[in-house]
Amino acid sequence: MATINIVDLQKNYGPVPAVKGINLSVEDGELIVLVGPSGCGKSTLLRMVAGLESVTSGRIEIAGRDVVKAEPAERDIAMVFQNYALYPHMTVRGNLEYGLKNRGTPRAEIDRRVQEAADILEIGPLLDRKPRQLSGGQRQRVAMGRAIVREPAAFLFDEPLSNLDAKLRVQMRVEIRKLQRRLKTTSLYVTHDQLEAMTLADRLVVMNGGLVEQIGTPTDVYDRPATLFVAGFIGSPPMNLVPLSAFSGADFSALPPNTDIVGIRPDALLLERPEGPSVTVEAIAELLEPIGGESHLHVKLTGSNQSVVLSIQGRPHVDEGAALTIFARPADLHPFNSATGRRTDDPATA
Amino acid sequence: MQAKRTTFPNKFLPYWLLVPQLAVTLIFFIWPAVQALKSSFEREDPFGFKTTFVWFENYRRLLVDPMYVGSLGRTAVFAFSVTALSMSLSLILAVAVNRVLRSNRAYTTLLVWPYAVAPVVVGILWWFMFNPTIGIAPYLLRGMGIAWNHRVDGNQAMIFVVMAASWKQISYNFLFFVAGLQSVPQSQIEAAAIDGAGPFKRFWTIVFPLLAPTTFFLLIVNINYAMFDTFGIIDATTQGGPAQATNILVYKVYTDGFLGLNIGSSSAQSVILMIIVIALTAIQFRYVERRIQY
Amino acid sequence: MIENRPFLAFLTHLVLIVGVVIVVFPVYLAFVASTHGSGDFMRGLVPLLPGPHLIENYSFMLNEGISSAGAPPLWIMLLNSLVMAISIAVGKIIISILSAYAIVFFRFPFRMVAFWIIFITLMLPVEVRIIPTFKVVADLGMLNSYPGLIIPLIASATATFLFRQFFLTVPDELMEAARVDGAGAMKFFRDILLPLSRTNIAALFVILFIYGWVQYLWPLLVTTDSRYYTIVMGIKRLAATADSEPQWNFVMAAVMLAMLPPVLVVIFMQRLFVKGLVETEK
Repeated sequence: MATINIVDLQKNYGPVPAVKGINLSVEDGELIVLVGPSGCGKSTLLRMVAGLESVTSGRIEIAGRDVVKAEPAERDIAMVFQNYALYPHMTVRGNLEYGLKNRGTPRAEIDRRVQEAADILEIGPLLDRKPRQLSGGQRQRVAMGRAIVREPAAFLFDEPLSNLDAKLRVQMRVEIRKLQRRLKTTSLYVTHDQLEAMTLADRLVVMNGGLVEQIGTPTDVYDRPATLFVAGFIGSPPMNLVPLSAFSGADFSALPPNTDIVGIRPDALLLERPEGPSVTVEAIAELLEPIGGESHLHVKLTGSNQSVVLSIQGRPHVDEGAALTIFARPADLHPFNSATGRRTDDPATA
Repeated sequence: MQAKRTTFPNKFLPYWLLVPQLAVTLIFFIWPAVQALKSSFEREDPFGFKTTFVWFENYRRLLVDPMYVGSLGRTAVFAFSVTALSMSLSLILAVAVNRVLRSNRAYTTLLVWPYAVAPVVVGILWWFMFNPTIGIAPYLLRGMGIAWNHRVDGNQAMIFVVMAASWKQISYNFLFFVAGLQSVPQSQIEAAAIDGAGPFKRFWTIVFPLLAPTTFFLLIVNINYAMFDTFGIIDATTQGGPAQATNILVYKVYTDGFLGLNIGSSSAQSVILMIIVIALTAIQFRYVERRIQY
Repeated sequence: MIENRPFLAFLTHLVLIVGVVIVVFPVYLAFVASTHGSGDFMRGLVPLLPGPHLIENYSFMLNEGISSAGAPPLWIMLLNSLVMAISIAVGKIIISILSAYAIVFFRFPFRMVAFWIIFITLMLPVEVRIIPTFKVVADLGMLNSYPGLIIPLIASATATFLFRQFFLTVPDELMEAARVDGAGAMKFFRDILLPLSRTNIAALFVILFIYGWVQYLWPLLVTTDSRYYTIVMGIKRLAATADSEPQWNFVMAAVMLAMLPPVLVVIFMQRLFVKGLVETEK
């Protein structure tokens, strides 16, 4: 059980900065998800914590100890890789034992831990098989098992689910969450999938261009994205980000003065007038996509070419080409400034 | 040059790992090559007391020496003939094997083993077959009205060593052609068949162009083989004779240097051979790089 | 193939059978000769069917040899060849796998230089540097010795490149996982990389064993003591005398014995052989 402290961490590849000064504290037992588009520096950050990538400047403390100069094996961490990285010539048991043997763990202790991990992950019957005889999901479990047996201070996950098919991914996501809750091991988890990030994280770290955009609980981040980037990245379908100039006739005088972009989640746009105050805008229906329990309605705002998506429960009857009036509650509007890229109603940054 | 994303941090270990290879290379490859280069610019007096630096004198003498120039020409004829003969036979056999379904492993086994026969043993086998007194080939040729004696007839000797050297190389070319044929997409052949191309037309218009990389690669390898790996064949059959008719460069270096002990001239010959190998290797690798890109 | 034309099928088999005959015939002839008595060669044409002296000829050559031709009993030469071929193959594999490991899994100053030095060996076959190499070996006192037969031949650019190529295909994560698991450089090499390279090592061994076995010029240069003769160079000496003393049966028995080990390796390890051959040339 341990905390991870990252202080002003930077990484350059030659002259090219990949991570540009990151501060992050992971609480004991917390699961932090690093999420962002590819190339945002999230994997580099994780690999620096693991010791697989050298640090240009800054500090990494695991359980209060500065590990910047330590070998990966000396950092008391375990890592789960995207392609599992199981040793193909060893049995499942061999894979689980390898790290323990290298540390000189006594035989009885190794057996106890392997048995325990096998029980937790229900891979007992697979212990004598080779990785190539396992399915994708089973390999994933073995990779998890290899991390568990080490009983490390922290787990590091590098996109562990992205090699699985969609169905298995959801299932394994739930299992990882349950397992982490049960073991209460401090964890850093990297993914580019915002849904995976939302469902797994105690706290999310949204990264872009080598910098942290926002740190917060999934609901915080979803309800109050701090930047335009986060607003566009978190949520599916993504938040509508519309320049104020694209609206004709709507009244936005209540928004902070330097606002020039307003963000509205697709499910916050309504076809019927809500109770209480509301903003209204005229639009033409372009395309209706029924996707089961809900439908996505693509519309074009009247007077501009701005496309906007509405997410509507059920299956509304809207003719394509029909003129519509769309409503939104003032509280659901997220005001941004395009120059700073930040919220304009945030007391800290306004 | 490529390395792994993460590398081990050890500072001295990689050097220790490289020591054996580099030591052998430096002592037995690079140092002798440098020596050869050095002596190619020198002349030793007959008693070996004094060496003088003579610039390109050794090279100049070689290039005006009709024996050497003749050997250069014969090497070219030899290399070209071996390459052409061996590659065409192999291609025919590879195409045939590729058409056969059930028995192709058996045929392959029967065709590939000469790869493992030493060139000098190949030489002895053919020397026995063509022995003018008891060989079966001269006997049969006599029946056809051809008087065979490669010990006196230079052209016959050349034909003889070309056949022996080609025989040895069939298996190698065959394997690479088979590999090349197997990588021709079946769908393209089927498409051509649907377009009405018969088997021979399909081969010339679809398969053979797709084999071009393999063919080019084998061309270089075969020239290389004929020039350098046939020492044993020549030594066991004609020993360069009769009257220099089969004295190819690599054999001449050996006889001039080792038996004739003319160090300066032999070194200059070595350096010329090195330049030829370097050129062949460079062509081969430039082409390999291109292949990787596409 | 696509269409079913009996004539084409017939032609195909005909071509293959002719090919096999061309390939096999010289060896068949040698085999037949090796089964006859010495007197059978006086009649002016070699016999075309096997004779009754197979065991006699082979055991004579294996155990006694023809000392008048300066050839010791064949079993000594076969043993020398075996030692030489195996040592060259093993030596090449060891030093090549180590250098490929250094080049792929480490970053260090002069890495490129090392790579190019190894590359250069491709361009310097023994045949083009005979005399100075001989001189180095002589100066080191390695003439007429196993080390002299073996060590100068064990540098290998092709084997190094093969391993390098293979190592580059080993996923990065495997090495990273091993490091997280506490394996250092040599432990990773021994526990993970070496077992993964098994097939490549075996395929390379087949090719390099053949390479070592068929060496001719090198043993010819560095051995003058018949105790160190290899079979391939030894039979050349035998053959040289056979013309004056027509002991064709013995010479051909020696030829068959010289061919047999590497040919058997190719036939019985065909899959590895093909893999090794095709991959070393990439």
